[in-house]
Amino acid sequence: MIPPKSDPIVHVIDDETSFRRSLVFLLESAGWTACEHESAENFLAAPPALPAEGGCLVLDIRMPRISGIELQRRLTALDSPWPIIFITGHGDVDLAVQAMKDGAVDFLQKPFKDQAFLDTIERAVELSRTRQQASRRCNEARELLARLSPRESEVARRLALGLSNKEIGRDLSISDNTVHVHRQHVMEKTGTGSAAELARLILRADPNGLDQ
Amino acid sequence: MDARSSTFVRLCVLLLAWCPTLVGASELRIGVLAWFGDRTAAAQWQALGAALQARLPATTVSMAYHDMDGLENALAAGELDFIITNPGHYVVLEARHRATRIATQRIDPSHDSEHAVGSAVIVPSERTDLRTLDDLRGKRIAATVPDGFSGWLTVWAELKRRGIDPEREEVTPLFAGLPMSRVLDSLDRGEVDAGILRVCLLEHLVRQGRLLEGRYRVLSPQEPDAPCRRSTPTYPGWAFAAAAGTPDALARATLVALLSLDGSDDVLRWGVPADYHPVHAMLRELQVAPYEFLREHSLEAQILRYWPIGAILLAVLLMWLIYTLRVEVLVQRRTRELSAALAAHHEIEERMKTQRQKMDHLSRLSILGELSGTLAHELNQPLATIGNYARSLTRRMWSGKLSDDAVAQAAHEIAGQAERAAGILEGIRDFARKRVRQREDCDAAKLVGEIVALFRGMLAKAPEIRINDKLPEERRNIHVDRLQIQQVLLNLLKNAYDAHCAIDQAGLPIDIVLEPAGERTCIAVRDHGPGLASEDQARLFEPFFTTKSDGMGLGLSICKSIIEAHAGQLVAVQPDDGPGLCFSFTLPSAVSARHDPT
Repeated sequence: MIPPKSDPIVHVIDDETSFRRSLVFLLESAGWTACEHESAENFLAAPPALPAEGGCLVLDIRMPRISGIELQRRLTALDSPWPIIFITGHGDVDLAVQAMKDGAVDFLQKPFKDQAFLDTIERAVELSRTRQQASRRCNEARELLARLSPRESEVARRLALGLSNKEIGRDLSISDNTVHVHRQHVMEKTGTGSAAELARLILRADPNGLDQ
Repeated sequence: MDARSSTFVRLCVLLLAWCPTLVGASELRIGVLAWFGDRTAAAQWQALGAALQARLPATTVSMAYHDMDGLENALAAGELDFIITNPGHYVVLEARHRATRIATQRIDPSHDSEHAVGSAVIVPSERTDLRTLDDLRGKRIAATVPDGFSGWLTVWAELKRRGIDPEREEVTPLFAGLPMSRVLDSLDRGEVDAGILRVCLLEHLVRQGRLLEGRYRVLSPQEPDAPCRRSTPTYPGWAFAAAAGTPDALARATLVALLSLDGSDDVLRWGVPADYHPVHAMLRELQVAPYEFLREHSLEAQILRYWPIGAILLAVLLMWLIYTLRVEVLVQRRTRELSAALAAHHEIEERMKTQRQKMDHLSRLSILGELSGTLAHELNQPLATIGNYARSLTRRMWSGKLSDDAVAQAAHEIAGQAERAAGILEGIRDFARKRVRQREDCDAAKLVGEIVALFRGMLAKAPEIRINDKLPEERRNIHVDRLQIQQVLLNLLKNAYDAHCAIDQAGLPIDIVLEPAGERTCIAVRDHGPGLASEDQARLFEPFFTTKSDGMGLGLSICKSIIEAHAGQLVAVQPDDGPGLCFSFTLPSAVSARHDPT
């Protein structure tokens, strides 16, 4: 396998010290940067930000005080972008299924094959990168659209919906010329060349941006 | 008395007004004691029948007349709802057929009633030698019939009280039969010295002119001011009694009807049921029905008392002879039987011992079975860790990144985890191994510590187990079968843990207390779970009783027998200071065990 170029990071959170260490040892054998935490509290005390290169969390589903499931719930509440992989013991499949429904990437039942574990890590990190990219593009689109004046935003939305200058003018009770000027400003500010491109930009900023 | 009974009548009438009688179109069958055949009795009692019929229009009132046996038979056959009979006979029927009096005939003392209950013993006036009942010793006395109440029994009782027993022939009764006038005939013929009449009969006959005033004299007259002279106490009047099967409603309705009757005729005068204890006392004294059974005992006593002593001596001699002959034979036979019984006893004991060992073994396996789920989980942990290190090493080797440090770290971890797994298995094997029971002195706290370690080793996330050791230095040792006691403790710990798991609080602590209890040592295991319903608590130690879906219900019953084998008791109590359940038991201390051969 190709070791990741930069530094995505894998956090292992498990109260069972020897097992946690063996996972870190395994991750490091495969070239990952791993970081261990002996409890959910420990992790929550200073929740690390997801690096641009991605990363993921490996959680023991059963831990004293704050369990893996509880940690997942709290992270969701914080809008955390970290993908989560659960490690379960014998007989915790019910819990694991619930965790999957709540958005976990996968769960692995002990004992598991190292390759299966590393593949899952790979997948989770990839997912985190996609998520990071998507959110970055969304932020960019929002910044571009934020440059428009309110009137220009109205014109931009109608352009993206495929209306002609005439129709826009009638809609907003302004002259065709004015529409034309606004259109020029919109294209300049957003750096788009066509109505279709403008539509894509708006949708990237907000998937519901073109709804009535 | 009158005021009270009329209040009672009013109360009854009021009560019954609330519940319309259930008597409906039923039949009310009354049996009456009659000495002289139907016709005489019917003439006497028909007024009562008619009056009741008038009060209970919805009911058909019928009267039947019987002698004593006939009345009893009819009552036993269920042919009667009610009976009217004399006090003595009533007491008999009450005892034999559960007849219940609902009313007693009221006798006006100023009235020479047909039914006054008591007797007068009369003698011809010229017999000046006879003054009191005591003078009747050795004399002959005319009575009606042997079971006549005022015709014989009352006088018999009175004579007996005065130490004159007809049964010891200290006075000779002559039964003239009924009607009572035959007693007078007997007296007139000179066959007897005295005669017994129902109280007031003498006065009645005089008033009717059938007898000359002063012809007869009453012996030992009581209450000289009373209108009728009598020689005995008076007893409660005739009883109106319900048969055992008579419905309450019918009895109530009849009672109300009876109490509300009025008229001058004796048969219409009924009051609240009287106390028949004097009658009971009298019949018991005489040892006649229903107390005839008393007679059997005293008969035996008599036989014993009067048995010719010579015969007894002879019998004793004979028996002694036979006895000496038989003794030798018996001794030999008994010796054989005894040794056979001893052998059988030993065999049974041996078998029970083997059985108990098998049972112990089984129960240990059963606990292990119940723990095996968590055991598998626990072994998973070191195995998964070992697997991770081994594969990591391979991976590093192929990628050329295998450092000495990594090898050392991985090898160290692998060895440690292997030891951990082996430790878990070793504990289990020791525990499951079959063995012969043996008692030894051991340190109580150490024994508890070992089993706590084993228990914690079996669980992935063992809860905190707090040991409170209050044993003084000189009392540390107990004299027990170590493995058996560990089995009990393991069972109790597992129960405590299960109780916590049942409320999803597996992390709650378990408390163990060690303390002296007199000569013995007490160990208590307490959980903080939901406790136990009291009906479950009562059945807790029954074999195969369980509240767990996966339990066999053998654990506690075996623990109980183990503790009992150590002369202790396993008890479960609800702690005062919060939820949970506390199991405690006592064990022989090493000191006290020296006095105790078990």
